[in-house]
Amino acid sequence: MPRALKINPRDNVAVVLNDVQSGEEVVVNGEEETIRLTAREEIAFGHKIALIPLEADQPVIKYGEEIGRARVAIPAGNWIHLHNLYCQRGRGD
Amino acid sequence: METFMGYRRPRGLPGVRNLVAVIPSVFCANTVARQISDRVAGTVSFCHPVGCSQVGLDLELTARALKGLGRHPNFYGVVVVGLGCERFRARELAESIAEAGKPVELVIIQEEGDTLKAVDKGARLAAKLVEEAARQPREEFPLSQLCLGLKCGGTDATSGLAANPSLGWVADRIVEAGGAAIFTEVTELLGAEHILARRAVNPQVAGAIMATIADMETRLQAATASCGIQNRSALISPGNEDGGVTTVVEKALGGIHKAGRSPIRGVLAYGEEVKGPGLYLLDCAGHDGEAVTGLVASGCQIVAFTTGRGTPTGFSGVPVVKITGNSATFQRMQFNIDFNAGGVIEGLSIAGAGSELLRLIKRVASGEPARAELLQHNELFCVTRV
Repeated sequence: MPRALKINPRDNVAVVLNDVQSGEEVVVNGEEETIRLTAREEIAFGHKIALIPLEADQPVIKYGEEIGRARVAIPAGNWIHLHNLYCQRGRGD
Repeated sequence: METFMGYRRPRGLPGVRNLVAVIPSVFCANTVARQISDRVAGTVSFCHPVGCSQVGLDLELTARALKGLGRHPNFYGVVVVGLGCERFRARELAESIAEAGKPVELVIIQEEGDTLKAVDKGARLAAKLVEEAARQPREEFPLSQLCLGLKCGGTDATSGLAANPSLGWVADRIVEAGGAAIFTEVTELLGAEHILARRAVNPQVAGAIMATIADMETRLQAATASCGIQNRSALISPGNEDGGVTTVVEKALGGIHKAGRSPIRGVLAYGEEVKGPGLYLLDCAGHDGEAVTGLVASGCQIVAFTTGRGTPTGFSGVPVVKITGNSATFQRMQFNIDFNAGGVIEGLSIAGAGSELLRLIKRVASGEPARAELLQHNELFCVTRV
């Protein structure tokens, strides 16, 4: 079964440690607990999976800190990357 | 108590190696310096493209880097080689090294007469220093006498997950023991300055962290003003994005993991000696060579270098310990990589990987060669410029 790592207890995303297929169950290991979650999309090794449903503009937390905000509402189990996560800091313009 | 076996110095931290350095004060003395080193075992030379036709801060950075290198504890003594008419005077470099209480010899080519005479004199002086160094035994020192440099390069998705957290665990143990650790690569910290500032020991240090990162961003903006990749968007590479890194804050957070969780005690200027125990930020851009040279000039006896994709580089006289979180890279580049933290990806705890890495770093501090030393990699000596 594919695995994912929730790096900090505050995080609302985890990093998948295997390539994950849509519909596959993922075991998410965290410091405090291990949970199971169904991936709703294909997610490549090293990429992020939403652990809870996120509203548009809600902070995305990884390493215990805000790394950016959701562009749109993101259901739990979805892939999070450039298409649905933005960060004011470090934009090219 | 955790200890390692090092070499006592007249002043400051002990060395983990006991070599004689041959340092040209100017590039015109490079060949003489290299030929002196080629003739005498136990010496290393440091050729570079600077030391003359420089002014202001640029000259200052060169002077501080070369002085820091000469004063470095891993060198028993130094032969300084000058030409005679250069802007950065060989005598100034030699005097700075002598202030550290270390044996230093001076060879000035124009005073000796020619290359052959200068090499002959330098080789005899270097041989005398090597003989003296050989009489010195290793002694036991507590971990508080270690200053560890923290660096990464060739990052992939495993760096932020396995290699950097494992190294961060080691940095925390060294700082807890009363030792020092230094991180740098300020270009990679943009976006995480508010998080780092919260870790400062006082508001002055927090302000210095914010100012250092803001200044680097200004320089980066100026440097990229006329090219297609505009300022901060240049900080995330296509490879980072393919690997799953989405934002600059995320990239910065993955990188600063290697500095552990200790409070930040201060910001060091390039070439400035570490001010005491604790975790410090060194003001330098992310270039592997410039950054490692800066860490060495500040006094790091060992540099711990995390790499996902794998890199073979090293620094003469200073062990650069390579750590990967990618087991495939470890298998493929096994003679370049010292430590595999990839177990963390398979479920090993950070503390488990970290404690094994700390044991390795103590062995390297006590004399076990890092892979980059065995293979004589020395491409990381590179003086930063304005």
